[in-house]
Amino acid sequence: MIRFTNVTKDYENQTALRDITFVVEKGEMAFITGPSGSGKTTLLKLIYSAERPDQGTISVAGFDLDQLKESSIPLLRRHIGVVFQDFRLLANRNIFDNVAMALRIRNMPEREIKTKVYETLKAVNLRHKSDSFPRSLSGGEQQRVVIARAMVADPTVLLADEPTGNLDADTAEGVVRTFKDINARGTTMLIATHNRELYRNTGRKVIRLEAGALVSVVQG
Amino acid sequence: MIVAPYSFRLALQSLVGEKWINLLSVFTIASGLLVIGIAFFAAYNIDAATRKLPEKFAMILYLDDAITRDKVDAILAGLKKKPEVAQVRYIGKDEAMKELKSLLKNANYVFEGLDENPLPDSIEVRLRQEAVNPDQVRKLTDEITRLKGVREIDYGEKFLTALHSLKSGVRTVGLSIIMIIATGIIFVCYSTVKILFYRRTEEIETFKLLGATKFFIRAPFIIEGGVIGMAGGLASLGGILILNYAVIARLGTAVPLLATLLFPLNLFLLLPLVGLFLGVTGAMIAIGRLRY
Repeated sequence: MIRFTNVTKDYENQTALRDITFVVEKGEMAFITGPSGSGKTTLLKLIYSAERPDQGTISVAGFDLDQLKESSIPLLRRHIGVVFQDFRLLANRNIFDNVAMALRIRNMPEREIKTKVYETLKAVNLRHKSDSFPRSLSGGEQQRVVIARAMVADPTVLLADEPTGNLDADTAEGVVRTFKDINARGTTMLIATHNRELYRNTGRKVIRLEAGALVSVVQG
Repeated sequence: MIVAPYSFRLALQSLVGEKWINLLSVFTIASGLLVIGIAFFAAYNIDAATRKLPEKFAMILYLDDAITRDKVDAILAGLKKKPEVAQVRYIGKDEAMKELKSLLKNANYVFEGLDENPLPDSIEVRLRQEAVNPDQVRKLTDEITRLKGVREIDYGEKFLTALHSLKSGVRTVGLSIIMIIATGIIFVCYSTVKILFYRRTEEIETFKLLGATKFFIRAPFIIEGGVIGMAGGLASLGGILILNYAVIARLGTAVPLLATLLFPLNLFLLLPLVGLFLGVTGAMIAIGRLRY
């Protein structure tokens, strides 16, 4: 489902990722870990084509990203749900509209959007907050809104960048439970985190990066 | 490509949310279109006033004294065949004198002492409306002058040239004004859409990351440009109507010439549509030039 082959990415004389090769199979839940600046976010950006590799090939959900035209990037992104580290919630829209946005860009009829969004908000236990605005929600609640937006369109791949970075232990545990539920439905997942508790003793694949290089692929 | 109803909703939200920028743009566009409307109003009335003049235009061919009736008939037949000619009429010297006497019935003394009729036989030629222009009339005059039996042609060259110059002058000035102002309006729409775009950069970036196509991102801005342009057109129409009824209609009683002015009904459709077109054009140029 996600395949990196000898991928290198440079930013103005600085190597962000160097010769990365790994595979995440369909339906698998894997983690990318490593210290800050090790290249976790860059690796995720390469998957949803916010960045292009300088060398190597990437394949995601059947798309060969090195051959992907700019006009086809939206099609790729519709197969991928992303939980952004900085949330990227729109402050001037309520929770319903923030989640619905992922469906509206697909030109889905409003009636279907309503049903799907309420179902998804219920799944993350935020149905009662649908009319609230992001700034009135706690960090954990905002995180769950972002997860709802990422999963509402039933993506084949779900990426999460430091999903528990600003959360307390209990809320983080709730987020992990939600991820496990999503993965149980067959969604391939790749979670970037430096929080060991998230992957310890899970038996899941853990890809460890250091200074842009892949140092190990082990079972957590 | 089908524009999704949500694109209209986004455009409407932006129109309401950024109402001051949008109102300022509408006002600026309305001012420009008002000038275009006034230019059109003036051109329309000048055209209406001069439209009937070509129908009154006639060429008079003065014939030789010794010309025979057969020769006159040949000239009449030749003239009737010409595509520019609408109507020909032979005026014998006696009939010409009768018409002159009727015209000068209050000044009959001018005919005292005339032993014989000094007027020549003549042919009055009326042209089709579209043929009444200096070039075509001059060409026709050259052809007719070559006919044997025609002594002189009188066709009011100065009047015709002046009329033609007036019309083409109005057209040139009008078109120049329209072009300059239309460019200005496009620039206003271009700048407005660009500002609106930059104010929504964060939102657009999120749309892109969620998988929005360029068309989905562009459509609301193009709709917004069109709405702003059309609103400017409607506002300028309102301005012209106010000018027409509040100023021209009121002053018409004091200045009779103003009362003869006609309001061109085309403006009801023209101004909103021109506004819409210029708004969409400005928005498309702005969105097309942006890198995102």
